[in-house]
Amino acid sequence: MSRAVGIDLGTTNSEVAIVEDGQVRVLPGEDGELMLPSCVGFDDQGQLLVGRAALRQAAAAPDRTVRSIKRWMGTDHKTILRSEGSGSDPTRDFLPHEISAMILRALKQRAETALAEAVTQAVITVPAYFTNAQRQATKTAGEIAGLEVLQILNEPTAAALAYDLRSEETERVLVYDLGGGTFDVSVVEMTGSVTEVLASHGNNQLGGDDFDRRLQLHLAERFRQTHGMAVPDDPVTQARLLRAAEQIKVTLSTHAFAPVREAFLGSKGKTALHLETEIARTDFEALIRPLLTETLEAIDRALSDAKLQAEDLDRIILVGGSTRIPLVQQMVQDHLGQAPVEGVQPDLSVALGAALQAGVLVGEEIDAILVDVIPHSLGISAAVDTPMGVMPGYFSVIIPRNSVVPVSRSEVYATLSPNQAVVEIEIFQGENEVAEENVPLGSYRIEGLPPAPAGSIQIEVHFDFDLNGILTVTTTEKGKGKQGKLMVNHAGIQRLSSSELQQARANLDALFTSDETKTGSGVRVSQPADAELADLIERAQQLLSSLADQQAEELQELLDSLEHALAAAETATVSELQEELSDFLYYAAPHAT
Amino acid sequence: MTSPYELLGLSANASPAEIKAAYHAKLKEFPAHRHPEQFKAIRAAYDAARQGESAAADEFFFLVRPLEATLDPEMLQQLRQRLTAQLAVSLEEMIRETF
Repeated sequence: MSRAVGIDLGTTNSEVAIVEDGQVRVLPGEDGELMLPSCVGFDDQGQLLVGRAALRQAAAAPDRTVRSIKRWMGTDHKTILRSEGSGSDPTRDFLPHEISAMILRALKQRAETALAEAVTQAVITVPAYFTNAQRQATKTAGEIAGLEVLQILNEPTAAALAYDLRSEETERVLVYDLGGGTFDVSVVEMTGSVTEVLASHGNNQLGGDDFDRRLQLHLAERFRQTHGMAVPDDPVTQARLLRAAEQIKVTLSTHAFAPVREAFLGSKGKTALHLETEIARTDFEALIRPLLTETLEAIDRALSDAKLQAEDLDRIILVGGSTRIPLVQQMVQDHLGQAPVEGVQPDLSVALGAALQAGVLVGEEIDAILVDVIPHSLGISAAVDTPMGVMPGYFSVIIPRNSVVPVSRSEVYATLSPNQAVVEIEIFQGENEVAEENVPLGSYRIEGLPPAPAGSIQIEVHFDFDLNGILTVTTTEKGKGKQGKLMVNHAGIQRLSSSELQQARANLDALFTSDETKTGSGVRVSQPADAELADLIERAQQLLSSLADQQAEELQELLDSLEHALAAAETATVSELQEELSDFLYYAAPHAT
Repeated sequence: MTSPYELLGLSANASPAEIKAAYHAKLKEFPAHRHPEQFKAIRAAYDAARQGESAAADEFFFLVRPLEATLDPEMLQQLRQRLTAQLAVSLEEMIRETF
């Protein structure tokens, strides 16, 4: 028997969870970690790395590593990675869903190892505010990874499912989900086993990555002020600056100040230039406050779409790693006049909810009923009467945003000019009154209409939107029964034919089988089983680049002998070296104040 | 043709709480992932039954509304301005698009 899992495919981290005997849990990797960094790369031998091993080399080898691929989902953006050390053409390029497929494949492998069983089905979560193209790309990524995607589930909805309220009283809950790259807010009504989403809103391009980026620019500005010259604009230096920014952000969630010590960021003549400064939490807050204010506006729109006031909310749930930032908690609390609930696991609850829904779909004994909504309005381009005359190109909504899915709706339109023989049906997704400003989903023509006066031919446009986000458009000429049909979801680049899918799967298999040990849990060959030691080595490797020459050499030697000892399984030597390394890090690493 | 109330198994004078409870009971019987068509019908019936409440409320509102409603001239002015501004912008855009 094969198993169905729930997967949170995040911008920064991903998790896989399962329901077993009515209990839901996140499955750890071989390294004991619950979270798999959503990072993919090739090492200097051209071996695929997924997870922590890839993340570890991100700053040192930005040309061989990709992060935050989720931000590109649904586009045809090509990621170019150097996949071999040398050769005539050492690079390969990948589409966003191909990179995501590698992460999903690693998660599948992780689950299969943990369960000692095949895993073939999954519920994969996406931000509620993802468009159809982004959802389709996610589904395709799952299929390439060898998973049957049972459902694409909205992340805040999954988090609400995982929040085990189960009181028979109706409670209204606001889920605020701020992740690495996306932001969602959902207003949810929970009554017993029924979880009903009333409204969702969000921003597909707002998250922790943007905070890091702002902080990175701020650090570059500090450097410029100190040394009177800009930070060199090469990928490695910029990647180091970005990594420093991330560490500062994390430190500032628990400390009022964070030290910055980045050595050799540039040079002036023969003098090496370092960045040594301190960032206060208030500095960071000033940088991100404008972005967070946008999230408050989204809260207001979701509430108003749900026809609720802030006072009507019984609970506020914070999800996503970025909600660890104290300013986020404070701004949400001040805005809604209520403190968020404690005890929610912001990094894991989405995966847990996805696993619950997967359980429901494969018929496990789980008492959970889910009613979700469509986040974007769907409609067509049409002409309307205005005081200025007839204006074409208006967005005529057929399925309004926050309609419950699945849903079917129809509207009737009339021809515009006398003897009009052709009608173009252009389908869009979005909220702008000007059709062209929204996301185009597809179009088709109805031809051969009989000659008739303007407005005398009526055409009914029927939209059918199913649980998997597939929109089917049917048009009928009134009184004639002449039909046109379009499966909107089948258009676009993210949908693969079965032969393309097979090819993509084969490509992925080849990458994975070339070295199984380096993927999955994302660890190196000589990876110690001990998580503490792994962490130590990781910190040491991160520190390497920021140390002065002599110290760096010492550290490298220590790491080399540790690697040898690990490979030879000399336990005594390993623990000796581990202690030595720990001491070294204590004295050499910058300390949080 | 079954009325929304019949579909939900309700009497015509059901309270909002009864309407919701009946809707939830039907959801458990016909979850969306297994019975999409029934689900759509149930949802439509639920919306109609709830609409019934607010339509009745509207009627009541009409009854007590004073005959001479005073329109706020300032609001009208604002509305007019917004409309003109919007039209001006779209005209400009159209011109730009065309040439």
